[in-house]
Amino acid sequence: MSLLEIDDLSVDYRIGSQMLRAVDHVSLRVERGEAVGIVGESGCGKTSLGLSIPFLLPTNAAISSGTVTLAGHELVGMSERELNRLRWTSVAFVFQGAMNALNPVQRVDRQILEAITAHDPRVERDVANARVLELLDLVGIAPARSKSYPHEFSGGMRQRAMIAMALACRPSLLIADEPTTALDVISQAQILALLSTLRRSEDLSVLMISHDLAAIKRVCDRIVVMYAGIMVEMGTTEEVLGRHGRPAAAAHPYTLALIEAHPDLHGERLLAQGLPGHPPDLSKPIVGCRFADRCPSVMPICRTEAPPTVTLSAGHVAVCHLAAKGAR
Amino acid sequence: MNDADDVLGQVTSPVLAEFAPKPRSGVLRSIWKDPTGRSGLIMLVFVLFVILIGPVIFPFDSQSFGSSAASILQPPSRAHWMGTTELGQDVFRQFLVGGRISLYVGLSATLIAMVLGAGLGLVSGYYAGWRDTVLMRITDFFLVLPTLPLIIVLAALFGQSILVTSLVIGMTSWPQTARIIRSQVLSLRERPLVQRVRSLGAGDLRIMRKHILPKVAPLILANLALVLSGAVLAQAALAFLGLGDPVQVSWGTTLHNAFNSGAMSQGAWWYVMTPGAGIVVMVLAFSLVGHSLDRILNPLLRGDR
Amino acid sequence: MSLRYLAKKLATLAVTLYVTVSFNFLLFHVLPGSPVQLLARSGHFDAAARAQLVKLFGLNHPLIIQYFIYLKNMLHGDLGFSYVYRQPVTSVLGGAIGNTLLLVGTATLVTIIVGVWLGVMAASRAHSLTDATITITSLGLWSMPDFFTGMILIFICGVWTHVLPISGLVTPGLVTGTWGHYADIGRHLVLPALTLTLVNAAEFSLISRNTLVDVMVEDYMLTARAKGLSRRVIVWRHALRNATLPIVTATALYVGMILGGAIQVEAVFSWPGMGLLIYNAVVQRDYPVLEAGFLIFAVAVIATNFISDLLYQVLDPRVRRT
Repeated sequence: MSLLEIDDLSVDYRIGSQMLRAVDHVSLRVERGEAVGIVGESGCGKTSLGLSIPFLLPTNAAISSGTVTLAGHELVGMSERELNRLRWTSVAFVFQGAMNALNPVQRVDRQILEAITAHDPRVERDVANARVLELLDLVGIAPARSKSYPHEFSGGMRQRAMIAMALACRPSLLIADEPTTALDVISQAQILALLSTLRRSEDLSVLMISHDLAAIKRVCDRIVVMYAGIMVEMGTTEEVLGRHGRPAAAAHPYTLALIEAHPDLHGERLLAQGLPGHPPDLSKPIVGCRFADRCPSVMPICRTEAPPTVTLSAGHVAVCHLAAKGAR
Repeated sequence: MNDADDVLGQVTSPVLAEFAPKPRSGVLRSIWKDPTGRSGLIMLVFVLFVILIGPVIFPFDSQSFGSSAASILQPPSRAHWMGTTELGQDVFRQFLVGGRISLYVGLSATLIAMVLGAGLGLVSGYYAGWRDTVLMRITDFFLVLPTLPLIIVLAALFGQSILVTSLVIGMTSWPQTARIIRSQVLSLRERPLVQRVRSLGAGDLRIMRKHILPKVAPLILANLALVLSGAVLAQAALAFLGLGDPVQVSWGTTLHNAFNSGAMSQGAWWYVMTPGAGIVVMVLAFSLVGHSLDRILNPLLRGDR
Repeated sequence: MSLRYLAKKLATLAVTLYVTVSFNFLLFHVLPGSPVQLLARSGHFDAAARAQLVKLFGLNHPLIIQYFIYLKNMLHGDLGFSYVYRQPVTSVLGGAIGNTLLLVGTATLVTIIVGVWLGVMAASRAHSLTDATITITSLGLWSMPDFFTGMILIFICGVWTHVLPISGLVTPGLVTGTWGHYADIGRHLVLPALTLTLVNAAEFSLISRNTLVDVMVEDYMLTARAKGLSRRVIVWRHALRNATLPIVTATALYVGMILGGAIQVEAVFSWPGMGLLIYNAVVQRDYPVLEAGFLIFAVAVIATNFISDLLYQVLDPRVRRT
């Protein structure tokens, strides 16, 4: 049984008098010890997907269909109290822009302590405090800095503190939403290295949400590409993104465009290509493929029929008419 | 009321930012759509109607008093819709006329406060530097002085005519506006467009007029409604304390008379409730519109983050 | 908070106080039609009193000397001489300051407690019916002039029913022991304090609610939710702790407003405090008392601002700098 099973999930937002489907019947799995990356541009629904797992969506959002099963527990429809028991202990979240994700008027060690005592009220003070220092040590923050306030930390340190806090209750799943955005390049590398290390040392499954392909390539075993609320491609990172000596086997034009947009530091000096246009208006009904307007390989059928899910190889699927044509 | 709109004003994820409702042209339409603003506008129309048309339909003669003892302090009746005063005068007609002074003083005071406040805020925020420091020190000082006591002192010292009252209220209301405008101008002058135009050698006044003023206008508008409601309250308080123009009948003056004539211990509630309700409705109307404007225009400003 | 910061703040305080006193002098002694000059010249006083006035204020001397005499008097605690009561202003003030403190203090305490509590209720159920009700009621109450609210309360509690006294500090001619005396004052305190509270709690609840709503959508609030903390902990430990800062700042501004309200309320209920004193001074054109009263109010606001500034330093770790 997979650790996390998302089946046919849809998330709707109520905006003004309109209903907007940010996540449209998406399914994915995360196995124990696996790191899965979700990539896509802003507004593709990846953050909503991530937030819906521990059910942290804003009040104007609702899960309109599908199930989310974590370690056998069905999360959709759970009461707030039951959810609170699972939050942080089974699934923890590391937010993007840790700029403001830590309470500015509380000391860092106090905030981590709170996470521990909230789920284990009977824990002894000394034991808890020792754990706090242990966690900070794990992410490379010296015990002398534990009593600092968040604004006294650099961006990278704050992100690391957030990760330390996330591990406080030994969760099975860590969801990281844009963990490297708003950080300088050196800090980015540090965080990614940390995530990779912790994955193994803490026996953690990771779901990493990012628009940065390079980050996902660094950390994740599998990659899910999202566009305008749906999944357009999924496969192992090695296969979809390629690596040294092995070209990318991505099938969906959007994935290919994303890869083009990321200059390869180690490989050839390719010109980074942007993708013109913007995602479709999700408040209006969509006919055919959502990517049709921007797709360089668009065909007439793309505008009339929704594309099928094509299995290209074991574990590698793409939702595309072109891929369907090629597979035949 | 659609809470989703409010949630969107404060984005928690990039998904929502894309789907935020675009600003509509036509401020009035936006206010009408907002339930708060709509009630405010309705009240406003009602108040204006009463004040402007009322006295035409029901003229008030301040010289006519009740002829006999029986016509003093009468409860509402068919002859006198809102009863009579201790002098036998019709409370309803007095109510219709009294609103004009309150509104007039409120508007003049607000105009003075706006011109002073916005002007100072503009200059202070645009030039920054020593001019800003000096002006802000002055503004801070005036912000600290308690408003109503200061108004009372100034009125006691300089007289009670409508002109003086308007001036006095206006001169005590500008600091808040100045601060708000100044901080907005300060952030505006850092914008690339303004920097570019400056480096091209455009004159300061021209920049202020063409580039900064239009952007600050919505802020001034929202602030105006709130300052106006404060000014009406201040005028009412002054009149009640006997510092209003003794010749003119305003709602505050009516309440002053009601209180000092012993009409209260006689239970003459109509004498008190009528002008009082007038004040409340007028002030509430302006604050509702002001709050609504604030909510409509604020997300746009904050969205520039 | 560093000593240097404290010293700087105290220096600013001293300067502000100095400017306020000078501003007072400007208003009451310098500007054309200055009442002191006028009254001294009018036939209001007999020769002996006039001579005393002239000597006290140094009216024979040029303006600048008058200014220094004024400052000297101020430093000695001499606030002038009342025209109406023929006594030094300081003795006229008597218990008035204490009475106003009692009224304003009680009202402020209740206002903060009720206002913040209502604000929390409205914010944690933001955009619901509860929120809308509280917000609209608050806006409505804020639109009522203090004196009008007082008059309504007088009707309800003093005229149509007789449950509470509607004027004065104590019941005249009442003979009772100490506790009875305090109880009597307490009963007289209810209506004036209630009037002040009603209007200002409304404003406070609006400020608290808006501050809290702003705080609730900050990122760290989502973190708190993600940690699986109970709703109560989230609101009180995380949200309120952060909202306290703007609320403290708002309190400082609010003191100026409540003093204006105190004048109205004391006038309506004949509560023998500074407000009533100022009101009577206006009616009777007793300028020295008016001047002293205004000065005391101004100093009170300045002092409150000073304290709230220091409080902010203590509460917000982001602002603390060595």
